[in-house]
Amino acid sequence: MSPAPATRPDPPLHRRSTTRLEGQASTYFDRHFQRQAMKILPGEFYATRTDEVIVTVLGSCVAACILDPVAMVGGMNHFMLPLSRHAPDPDVFFAARYGAAAMEYLINDLLHLGAQRDRLVAKAFGGGKVMEGLTDVGSQNILFVRTYLQQEGIPLWSEDLGGTYPRKVYFFPHSGQVLVKRLDQVHNRTLIEREASYLQRVAQGAAGSDVELFT
Amino acid sequence: MGKTILTVDDSSTMRQMIGFTLKGAGFDILEAGDGLEALERARGQKLSLVITDVNMPRMDGITLVQRLRALPEFRFTPILVLTTESGLDMKQKGKEAGATGWIVKPFSPEKLLDVVNKVL
Repeated sequence: MSPAPATRPDPPLHRRSTTRLEGQASTYFDRHFQRQAMKILPGEFYATRTDEVIVTVLGSCVAACILDPVAMVGGMNHFMLPLSRHAPDPDVFFAARYGAAAMEYLINDLLHLGAQRDRLVAKAFGGGKVMEGLTDVGSQNILFVRTYLQQEGIPLWSEDLGGTYPRKVYFFPHSGQVLVKRLDQVHNRTLIEREASYLQRVAQGAAGSDVELFT
Repeated sequence: MGKTILTVDDSSTMRQMIGFTLKGAGFDILEAGDGLEALERARGQKLSLVITDVNMPRMDGITLVQRLRALPEFRFTPILVLTTESGLDMKQKGKEAGATGWIVKPFSPEKLLDVVNKVL
């Protein structure tokens, strides 16, 4: 008689990092979509195996929705790159390390939930030019997310990037479906202020990393 | 002769960024995409330092540290873990496996070079 196959415990239903949360991701029941909804703010990300909806509002930030359609595991992040401290371009590469970490946090959680790296696909949103007078941080974010996905071999299934308007994004990780609502710029001061203060925190936070030497 | 550093990460973007930072400081770089590949690449090499991610396919970074420490030629080579993981449990595992230090992503190039120079 052959030995019984080792059973692996089921991975958890969803994961949300507590270390990188800028605010508190909040959950509510969405009457319109008749399911549980998770709202994420700048700097947050969320991955799940359950049939729910992940919601976020984007100005110049970008959100990547990444999923493994076979395992039906999906998640979303919401981030922007810090502005270069040094004059325009050379530092963009280093600014990107913040974005690369934001992507990696999400991807690691998806893998923990049972996704397979070679099956991952992505959809990307945001990067609008909504902050008056500031450098076009949106286009820097768009360039990053496209380059990153290409370099990592994750196909970009669809996108709604750029433009001058904020967006509300609804991502259904089970089906992979996304609904994008274009918002009126004038009535979104809160969004713009929230992003500006997030950008400031990113710029400060990106200066150092947490280091520990074992002795 | 230049010092050679092996960087291990499943993200090519991340390998590129780490490589760019270290090459700029005059180090020679070897790369691997997971723990198993890192073991193959390390064999017979004279490495000054290994920098590894934790979550990788085939073989994770903690296992890689253990396997490297079991090899006589890597018993005293500094090994830094560079990861998104910041939990105390995970750090403890890294320490027990024999890692020299732990850096949480996103990393700052200055800080990385600072730590690298400290452990070399």
